[in-house]
Order: sequence, then structure tokens, then C-alpha cells
Amino acid sequence: MNVILSSIIWTPLLFAVIALFLPERDEEQRGRVRTVALAGAGLSFFVTAFFAILGQIGLGQGGGLSSAYQESHAWFWTFLFHAYYDLTADGMTLPLLVVTTTVFGCAIFHSWKIHERVRLYVILILLLETAVNGVLCSADFVLFVAFWGLMLVPMYVLIRVWGGPGARRAAAWFAGFQALAFVMIVATVAIIIIEAGNQSSDMVQDLKTFSVPAETIGFWMSFAAFAIAMAIFPVHTWMVEAQSKASPGVAAILSGTMLLLGAYGMMRVSLVVFPVPAHYYSFAITGLAVVGAFWGSIGALRQDELRRFVAYMNVAQMSMVLLAIGAETSVALVGAILLLAAQGFASAMLTLISGAVEERTRTTSIRAMGGLVAQAPRLAGFWLFAALSVIGIPALAGFTADFMVFTGSFPEHRIATLLVMASVIITTGGLLWVANRVFFGPVREHLARVRDVTLLDLTVLIPLVGAVLLFGIRPGAIIPVISNGVLEITTRITGG
Amino acid sequence: MSFSHALILGLLPELMLAGAAALSVIVAVARPGLRPDIHRWIACIAIVGSLAACGLILLGLRGVRSGVAITVWNGGLSVDSFSVFIAILAGVTALTSCLISDTPVRRIPARSSAFYGLVLVATAAVDAIAAERDMVTFFITLALLLVCLVGIGALVKTDPRGAVSSFEHLIEGMIGTACVLYGLVLLYGVTGSTDLSVVVGSVHRAPGVVALSIALVLLGLCATLGVFPLRQWVGRIGTNVPAGAAGFIIAMSVIGGGAAIARVTVSGFGAGVRPWMWLVSIIATIALAHASLSALRESLVSRLLGQLVSAQAAMLLLGLLAFSTGSLDVPAYGMTAFLAGLGITAVATLAAYGVLAMIQGAGIEDGISDVRGLAHRSAPAALMLSVAVATLAGIPPLAGFLSRLLLVTSAADAGYGWLAIVASAATLLTIIAAARFIGLLYAEGGDGVPFTLGATPPVSRVVAGAACFAGLVLAVLIQPLLAVATAGAGPLR
Repeated sequence: MNVILSSIIWTPLLFAVIALFLPERDEEQRGRVRTVALAGAGLSFFVTAFFAILGQIGLGQGGGLSSAYQESHAWFWTFLFHAYYDLTADGMTLPLLVVTTTVFGCAIFHSWKIHERVRLYVILILLLETAVNGVLCSADFVLFVAFWGLMLVPMYVLIRVWGGPGARRAAAWFAGFQALAFVMIVATVAIIIIEAGNQSSDMVQDLKTFSVPAETIGFWMSFAAFAIAMAIFPVHTWMVEAQSKASPGVAAILSGTMLLLGAYGMMRVSLVVFPVPAHYYSFAITGLAVVGAFWGSIGALRQDELRRFVAYMNVAQMSMVLLAIGAETSVALVGAILLLAAQGFASAMLTLISGAVEERTRTTSIRAMGGLVAQAPRLAGFWLFAALSVIGIPALAGFTADFMVFTGSFPEHRIATLLVMASVIITTGGLLWVANRVFFGPVREHLARVRDVTLLDLTVLIPLVGAVLLFGIRPGAIIPVISNGVLEITTRITGG
Repeated sequence: MSFSHALILGLLPELMLAGAAALSVIVAVARPGLRPDIHRWIACIAIVGSLAACGLILLGLRGVRSGVAITVWNGGLSVDSFSVFIAILAGVTALTSCLISDTPVRRIPARSSAFYGLVLVATAAVDAIAAERDMVTFFITLALLLVCLVGIGALVKTDPRGAVSSFEHLIEGMIGTACVLYGLVLLYGVTGSTDLSVVVGSVHRAPGVVALSIALVLLGLCATLGVFPLRQWVGRIGTNVPAGAAGFIIAMSVIGGGAAIARVTVSGFGAGVRPWMWLVSIIATIALAHASLSALRESLVSRLLGQLVSAQAAMLLLGLLAFSTGSLDVPAYGMTAFLAGLGITAVATLAAYGVLAMIQGAGIEDGISDVRGLAHRSAPAALMLSVAVATLAGIPPLAGFLSRLLLVTSAADAGYGWLAIVASAATLLTIIAAARFIGLLYAEGGDGVPFTLGATPPVSRVVAGAACFAGLVLAVLIQPLLAVATAGAGPLR
């Protein structure tokens, strides 16, 4: 029996349950709790990296066709529709699973910086990892929404309890927007189940043609829900608030994993299930992408807080993913998946480094910083590395992704692609400008004794650096796997 | 088997419950010095016996395609798989309550026989409501249920506010039963019969009067179901009656109200009497909106739970509307969703109030601000309360979410897409309210000192914990519940 996907999903939860019964009275016991949590996240990452994706890459390089991992068990069937505990991980899912398991592993490492209520913190993170991996692997709509909904409360509590000043408001924003997105996803699923007429909630079923109103409503409802989750313009405010107020580890999870789920859902549901309206409204989607790209990149320049700056960068990056979704070509969609992976790693890095900078300088204001490179050269190096990946420098993960998104989108939406490309110039300028303001220039007097990265920081950041390099240097190994996964979408769009 | 034997077998659960209630009272009168626990165990044994009797009826129902075990008094009493489902649900609720409500009963040792006697009679009344199709006996059992529940609240009161709340419950309930009575009287006037199923033949004769009478009956049943406009008692009982008993009162009333409304509308009026459908959809819309919005501004834990129960009860009405074949052209599963949802609501209500009883037992006040940072003080209490509230609010992946999903889907399939949207929006509000509350439980603590749940007897703790855990288990193993609910819904289709 194939249990690879179940083990990726449930291992974190299993270790969360173990952690639940561990005491945390002193630092030694708290260390034990963190170690158990790390074991859970690490095992999930290990299974993803070494069994799931390497197997597929090996299969592709050996000349074989990569195939999806699948598990299927009936869940309930005495009802209007049948639901299944149906898991699948194809070429679209696997790279994203690598991103999520890596980022969660780093977030658990980061928990060594948390000293209050460590047990609850790691349990919630592991619960969140179960939910995120579950969303990615679900091949049944009911299972998909169940896992999606499971994310709400843990993330809300993580933002609210461990966040800084203003975290309560940020958590409220998060809860409001995400609950709205969740309800819209549930409504979409109800439309799909009823209108498809197959009496099944299986995501890979042979969907029949919907009536035009149902198709249009379903598309826009799912699009709006996933747009909220992706935090694209104009529904990005929750993310900016949450990103800037949550603790750095939680913010890294938010920007590194939760945003990509929105894009994944948009491709998996809005494009696959509603290909006709998706194509019909592609102009509107790309228009939104253009506005979002400029809004994000220009908005970032107006920020004085480091993490708000990163949040606006996320808006710009997600707009590029939206451009690829609007273009609907296989090259653009492969690029979008790669971009999600690259953005996940780079954004998590930027967030964690921003947290480290804030912790050392005791300020969030970019204006109050400067000249940190003298005291913390390695910290500056990591920031620049992540920034360069976002910009799309060759040999880093962002390069191939950007290249494929633009080349894939250009034939379909030329002007929109050119405009989004132009926004990248602003993004690049913004990233370099912030690097200059924070790390270079004259050393501020009150920042003269800032520490450089510690061993713990290195432990958190090096896995992300490795992943950015791997995706950047060997994109050729992963692209065939992704292409195979994207095939389903393009087949549906072309009516095949 | 002779008719009298069949009748006794059909009514065995109710007879056992009523007999045990009488026995408990006789024991209390004859031996007043006996340990109060004895009455609890009499009640538990009787409930287990009634559940076994339900099992016997189910055995007899195997192979009966109509799902009807026995029908007597010209169809006025119909023991079928629906009534057996409700009887089992009521039995499980009563058994759980007997085990949870140890603490409030300990305060009134001299009246414990009365408490457990009323619990047994209320359970029997719910069993009977589910089997009634005759207007007269239907009304009598409904009134009996109300009197028993009010009596329980009045018995276990700890301060004058409890008595006032029970009195207010009585008044509100009597307004409801009066509405039901007037509605039934009008129906009798039109049809000339006390059989609910003959109404369909009289709609064309006096459509206005029939619509008015249906509106009165539905309005009255809202009080029992605990939905707007007659639902003030839910919050008051939750706040002023000890939580262990309040859970039983609210859960049993919701089960009784649900059974009654299903019997009257789906079984009694059916598809031929259209007005009840649009009336139910209007009631569901207003009730969902009212309860969900109210949940956002509650400042007491018990009232928040009451709002969530009320919202969940209103959600059940969606299942009633999907009682006939929908767009998917498969047998109606709205009633399946209704019965499964009723079961999940009852369990979640008991779990929530059971945990609240434990927290009250530890001396924590009822204000939401009083449970701020509860996780610091008692992690198990915070976890159990979180799970119970999340189940009631419909947060995934717990059973409450699946219940809402099934209800919304079946309503949408039956052509009530707009109501499904309203229900989704209401769920959004309850999720926000619950998430906010759960966040508060885990927020930074105040000055409160850690506490244990040691003040609550171990059996109560285990049962309340199991009820919370059931919210998770039922999500994973929902198929058996759906299978039983489908069988239960069979006679109503």
C-alpha cells in the first residue's frame, strides 16, 4: 500500500500529538519539545525530498513518464455525493511540497528563538503543516476544503499570540479575509458537486459541462477566494498586516507557504474546473496582474517597515504568478509553479532576515537602520542573496521562473507582459534601495554593536539558500516533472 | 405476534423510561435516606435498556422496506426507523447528560430522584414526539417535554436567577406551544381530522387558513428547536442554570424540536402543502442571520455557546427543505443531512456545556474575559473547549463542518441556492466568532492562577472529554452516522 502522501501529511500531526504530552517547565524540556517537533517536520521533508520528488526526477531522467502518487479510500458514500480520502501528488504538487516542508522545517528551527509557550507554538505549526500539505495533496473537493479550513484557527492563534504590537488587529484581518475565502471555496465546491452531476466530490473526475451561469459564478467565486489567499491586489491588506505583525517564523510560513496555496488552488480549481470562463476572462485576470504588479512594487517603495516592504514584494511576485495564470500557456504555468517555489523560499528568507534585523536593531523602521554590513556582513549577504533570487538573477531559483513566466505569457498578452516586466524594474530598484538603506551607508551610532548571524540563524537560513540554489542550478531536472503536472490543466483548457 | 405484543415492543423504549422514572420516585419516597447516586444508576440502566429496546426494534425492521415497524390509532402513532433514530439519539444524549450532570445534582441530593425522573420522562417525550402523527398526542408530548425541561432547570438552580430563567423558559415555551395549539386547532377546523397527513387534501379549500395555521405551528416549534424568534431561553438557561444540566435541556429541546418539525412538515404536510417550505426557508434565513450576528457580540461564554447552538439548529432547517428528489435526480438526502446534523449538534452541545460545567466547577466565571488565557491555567480545559466550540461553529475538519457542508449541499441541490449562500455567510460569521474566542483562550494570560479539573468527578470528565473527542471522530467516521441517518430518513421521504 502506498502511504507516501499520507506520511507527508500526517507525520507532523503525529509528532504534534507526541509534543502535546511533553512537559515544558524548563529550558531543557522546551528543547525536547522543539526537537520532537523538528523530527516531525524533518521526517515530512525527508519523505517529500527523497522519496517523492527524487523518485519522479529519476523516473523522468530515465526516459519514463513521471506519474502521480495516489492514495484513495472511500470516506462517505451514503449521500448525494461520494467523498473519498483521495490523495494525489503530481508534478505540480511535488515541488510545492518541497517548498512547504522546507519552510516549515525552518520555522521549527526558528522556534529555538521562541521562549514562551513553546509547546503550543510548535504544535500549532505542525498542525498547520498537516493542513498545508493536505491541501496540496487533496484530490477530493471535500478533503480539500477540510484541510483548507484546518489552517484558519492555528494561523490565527499563531499571529495573535506570538505577534508583536498590533498582532490582534492583524489576526482579526487574517481571520476575516481567510474565513471569507474559505466560505467561498465551500460554495464553489457545492456548485461543482451539484452542477457536475457525477455524485462525486472527486477532483480528478471527468467533469461535465456546466451551465453558463453556474460556470461563471463558480469561476468568479473560486477566483475571488484564491485571490484572497494569494493576497493579490486589491485583497492583499490582510497579508500586509499579518506579515508585519506576526512573529518572524510565523510570517515566514505565511509568505512562504500560504500564499502559494492560493495560486495552487487557482490553477487546480479555477482553471481546471472552469476552463471556459477562465479563458474568457483571461484579459481581466492579466489586467489585475498588471495593476497588482505596479501596486506591489510601488507600494513597497512607500513602506518604512522592513516586513511591510517584504509583504508588498509578495504582492508584486504573486501578480506575476497571476499573469501566468491569465496566459494559460503550459510554459507560463510551469514558470508559475517554479516562481511559486522560488518566491516561497526567497520570501521566507527575506522575512526571517527582516525579523533578525529587527531583533538586532530593535526597530522596524528602515529609516532608522543603516550601515549594518559592517557589523553583520553575513546577514547582509543573506539578504542580498534572497533579493537577487526575487529579482531573477541567473543560477538562482527566480531566474528560470521569471523567464518562463514572461516567455510563456508574451504570446498571449503582449502588453500586459511588457508592463509586468516593467514593474520588475521597480521591484529590483526597491530591493536594492532597501538593501542600501539597511545594510550600506554610514553606520548609525545606536547600531554600532549589532551581532552578525548566529549558528541558529545559519541553521534556519542555509536550507533555504540550498533550495534556492538547487532550483536555480538544476531547473532542467524539475521542469519535466512540473510539465507533466501542468499537462492536465492545459488539456482541460484546450478542451482535450 | 399479536397486536398488543407488537405495540408493547414498539413502545418498549418509552415504557422503560417512564417505568424507571416511576421506580426512581417510588424509591425516593420509600427510602428517602438512600444515596442519591442510586437514582442516577437507575436512570442510566433504564436508558441503556431503552437503547437495547431500540436495537430490538431495529432488528425487527431489517428487511422492512417501508421502515415502519408498527402503525396504530389510524396512523396517529408510527414507530418507524425515524422515530427509532430519534429515540437512540435522545437516549445517548440522556445517558451522557446523566453522567456529566453529577456536580449539579450533588447540590440537591434530596431532589435527585426528581431530577433523573424528569430526565427520563423528557427522553420518553422526545421518543414519543418522533413517533406522533396525530395532532392531539403530538401537542401533549410537546407540552410534556417543555414541562420536564423547565422542571429540570428549576430543580438544579443555584441562585434566584436560575429560577427566573426557568420561568422565562416556561413562558417562552408556553407561547410556542400555544402557537402550535392554535395552528393545530385551525388545521383541525379545516380538515376535520387530527391526522396531520390529511392536510394536503384541504389546502385548496382554505389556502389562507392553512398557511396561517402552518405559520403558527412552525413559529411555535421554533421555541422548542431554539431558533429565532423564540430562542431567548437558550441563552438564559445556558447562563443561569448549571452547565451540566443546561447542556441536557438545550440538547434535548433541539432534538425534540427537530423531530417535531420534521414530523409536522416532511411527514405530515409533505410536498403537497407548499406554504411550509417557503415559511421554513424564511425562518431559516432570519434565524441563521440573527444567531450568527449575535454570536459576534456575546460577552459570556454560555451565551456564545447558546448562539452557536441556535445557529446550528437553524442550519438544520436547510435539510428539511431538501426532502424530495433534487437536481442530481437521486433520492433526497436532505433528511439524511438533517438527522446526521441533529446528532452532531446534540453531541457538540453536550460537549460544550460539559466542558463549561468543568470550568465552572473549577471556580472560573462565565465572562469571555474570564477565560482569557485559559490555556495557561489548564491546557486540557482550553483544548476541550476549543474543540467543542469549533465543532459547533462548523470549523473544519470537525464534524460540525461536515454537517454544515452536507446541509448546504443538499439545500443547493434542492434548488435553494440562495439559502445555501445565506447559510455559508452565516457560517463565515460563526467561524469568525469561534476563531476569536479560541484565540482568546490561548492569548496571554491575566492574573489567573493555574487550576485543575479535579473538582469535577472523573466519570463526568471522561464523558465530557469523549463528547469533545466525538466531534473529531465523527468527522473521520461519518459514514456509519450517515448510513444510520439515511435509514432513519427512509420513512420521511
